[in-house]
Amino acid sequence: MVSFLEILVYGAVQSSVYAMLAVGFSLIFGVAGVVNLAHTAFYMVGAYLIYTAFSVSGLNLILSLVISVVLTGILGLLVQHLCVRPLIRSEYSVMIITVALAMFFQEVLLSTFGPVDRNLTNFYEATYRLFGMVTIDAQRLLTLLVAIFLIICLWLFIKRTKFGRAIQAVAQDREGAVFMGINPNRVYLQVMFISACLAAIAGAFIAPTLGARPHMWEHPLVRVFICVVLGGLGSLEGTILAAIIIGYTEVIVAFMLSAYLGELVAVAIILFVLTVRPTGLMGRRAA
Amino acid sequence: MDRLHSLEESLPSSPLHWKRFRVHFAIIIFLLFIPAFVKSIYVIDLLIVCNVWAVFLSSWDLLTGYTGQISFGHSLFIGGGAYTAGFLSFYLGVPFWVTIPLGGCVAAILGFGLGMPALRLKGPYLALATFAASAVLHGLSAVFWEYSGGEDGLYGVAPLTRDYVVKYYWSVILMVLCSGFLLFLVNSQYGLILKSIREDESGAEASGINVTKYKVLTFVMSGFLAGVAGAFYGHAQMHVGTDLLSLHLSIMVVLMSVAGGMGTIVGPIVAGYLLILLNEWLRVIEVVRVLIYSFSVVLILLFIPKGIVPTIISGVEALINKMKFQSGS
Amino acid sequence: MDALLQVEGLAKRFGGLDAVFDLDFTVEAGEIMGMIGPNGAGKTTVFNLLTGFLEPTKGDITFKGENIVNRKPNQIVDRGISRTFQIVRPFLNMTVLENVLVPLQAPKNRKVNKGRMENQRRAAGLLEQVELADKMLLLAADLSHGDLKRLEVARSLAAKPDLLLLDEPFSGLATKEISALSDLIKNLNDDGLTIILIEHKLRELMKLVKRVITLNFGVKIADGTPEEIAKNEAVIEAYLGKGGERFVTS
Repeated sequence: MVSFLEILVYGAVQSSVYAMLAVGFSLIFGVAGVVNLAHTAFYMVGAYLIYTAFSVSGLNLILSLVISVVLTGILGLLVQHLCVRPLIRSEYSVMIITVALAMFFQEVLLSTFGPVDRNLTNFYEATYRLFGMVTIDAQRLLTLLVAIFLIICLWLFIKRTKFGRAIQAVAQDREGAVFMGINPNRVYLQVMFISACLAAIAGAFIAPTLGARPHMWEHPLVRVFICVVLGGLGSLEGTILAAIIIGYTEVIVAFMLSAYLGELVAVAIILFVLTVRPTGLMGRRAA
Repeated sequence: MDRLHSLEESLPSSPLHWKRFRVHFAIIIFLLFIPAFVKSIYVIDLLIVCNVWAVFLSSWDLLTGYTGQISFGHSLFIGGGAYTAGFLSFYLGVPFWVTIPLGGCVAAILGFGLGMPALRLKGPYLALATFAASAVLHGLSAVFWEYSGGEDGLYGVAPLTRDYVVKYYWSVILMVLCSGFLLFLVNSQYGLILKSIREDESGAEASGINVTKYKVLTFVMSGFLAGVAGAFYGHAQMHVGTDLLSLHLSIMVVLMSVAGGMGTIVGPIVAGYLLILLNEWLRVIEVVRVLIYSFSVVLILLFIPKGIVPTIISGVEALINKMKFQSGS
Repeated sequence: MDALLQVEGLAKRFGGLDAVFDLDFTVEAGEIMGMIGPNGAGKTTVFNLLTGFLEPTKGDITFKGENIVNRKPNQIVDRGISRTFQIVRPFLNMTVLENVLVPLQAPKNRKVNKGRMENQRRAAGLLEQVELADKMLLLAADLSHGDLKRLEVARSLAAKPDLLLLDEPFSGLATKEISALSDLIKNLNDDGLTIILIEHKLRELMKLVKRVITLNFGVKIADGTPEEIAKNEAVIEAYLGKGGERFVTS
């Protein structure tokens, strides 16, 4: 019984991190057709920024978070405007330049901080017992709650606000949106900003649990990409659903079989799915 | 009759004519003479790495640059070949001249395995599938850590030879054979078929080309060559490790080839040498190294998207034309 | 003698739409037949079905006595049907010559292994036929629309077809270009090549073909000589609407 609840809780945490990362990736992919392979590099930058601000310099937590998120967001804007926009006609060039940027960020961080795992202090030291039986530390719980909150906020933003509707319009029909007076490039910038901020938040919150390493962007990249393709291009709901599926399956396999096999789960699933259905499970747009 | 005759004159001569490769031959001769004036083991070792990478990169170019099959998973083949050789050598004591071709064969089978589902995939979906495929192999090496040595890999793979100069010459032979084969292939009529698939698959089908067959064949060939090079590398380092199965490796292959110029075979090879040597040379000034080495690809993509080699060739051609024009010929 | 191409009960359904429905027609060897109909009538769909780019929902296609339904496009080219595309699709980053060399790599042409030089000669000859030979070293991306249309024709001929499907070969061409291409098509047919031609430029089409079938909403509404078709009420209605015959002056 304990195991089941543990899986429930830890699966939720895992899924929530994937979801928080994946929705940002999905957003820029669905709206602008940009496969931003530097997305998890933003996650990494966010983690290192909060490490520097909070753990090293001892700044106030809120201030550190703001610094981490806003600076990463600005980085996202720069990347979109300077590197992605000139190449946007070629999906393939965008993939290459963003992965080159990710490598670049990695190298800069490696140079600056060294290859050693950095340990961050938890935001809040405490442990809780959920359902009376499952222990979970504050950091993980906080991550889960923040992720859920942000995803709901994002959802409302996209579906209910003027900005959100502009985003949907550009995602569905770029030319049509132009005729409606919407500037697609500005929308792309907004979406990239949101996307980078979300990634930074994910990085900032999970870094105390996982640590910060210059290679930390590689592992989540594949998984985030998997969630988005599994959920179907352009489908935010699909991405979240896929994140839940992948997160839980990984945790279940890791608990029941072995952590190593847990690592294989996501990639095995996506290879199977792509072989059978080349456009993902719930996608609107064809490959 | 006159018309036909003048037409015939303007037909391009065969790209496989040996005269076209004078520069290539010169470079090979240069490479062969290097140990005569370079005595440092460090530099020779570096050149061995360069030669091996030349095969990694050019085999990738065949698949992605020529046939248009975006691959972010080249480490599947490199690592697959390396670990095959590693296992055979470490556990069974099989000599390297058997393990290396076998490594290539295993990688070729992996290529077939990846090629079949890849047929229907395009763009980001194909990229993801290749990411995932190499991640599977990486994951398997972790799952079976007792056999694969886990994170550390296998130390104690049989060396090729104790003599580092001989090792160097073996690497030159590897590079010349593999890259030579690829150059021959892409300049032959087979190369035309591959390019047509890259340009427009449906158009190629409508021209009577069996696109499926050629795609799978290219996956197999690209895999075989990368596997052979990977196996060679394992023996050269006397070690196979997870770095040969990593995403990092796959990405470096992509970036270096793109920097050199996709779809040229020669471009990626040149970029490989340049970047590897530059990376070592600049280690003295760490900050500069980081900036140049990793940021250069971004700059290349933005400003000279065709890649180093094609841009230089265009530049030289333009210069020659300008000089011809000015001298009034 | 059996017809070269026999189409029986051909149908193609996309979701709720019957793009082609219950289509029957035959084409004899050596014929030159036109296929006309308003936009969206299903003409290109028929070509896609004939060349293996689409699978029929129902029906049979028999070519040279063999059922070619379910064959892949490259296999159909191998059996002798070649086509051009309505919207040109050249291999952009390859030269004009290379564009024509590609179909010469198909197995049908390679059975006797021709060397590159020989193939280049054959390609140059084909380019001569469509008057593109002096541009043969240019990149396809640098060609004008009219030239690209002619390149399409050269490529389709390289496959040595027994049946050639031309999808709007005259669209976007100037009068002189149309007349030159029209002469070429006539010559090819005179030499024995069977041709089906989709066109909207009815005047040019009617001069070229001996027989026309008309499609509307995926259904064949007429089949006859150009004169018969021009007077056919159903055809006039399809193009000009009810009572449209008052627009037909001649």
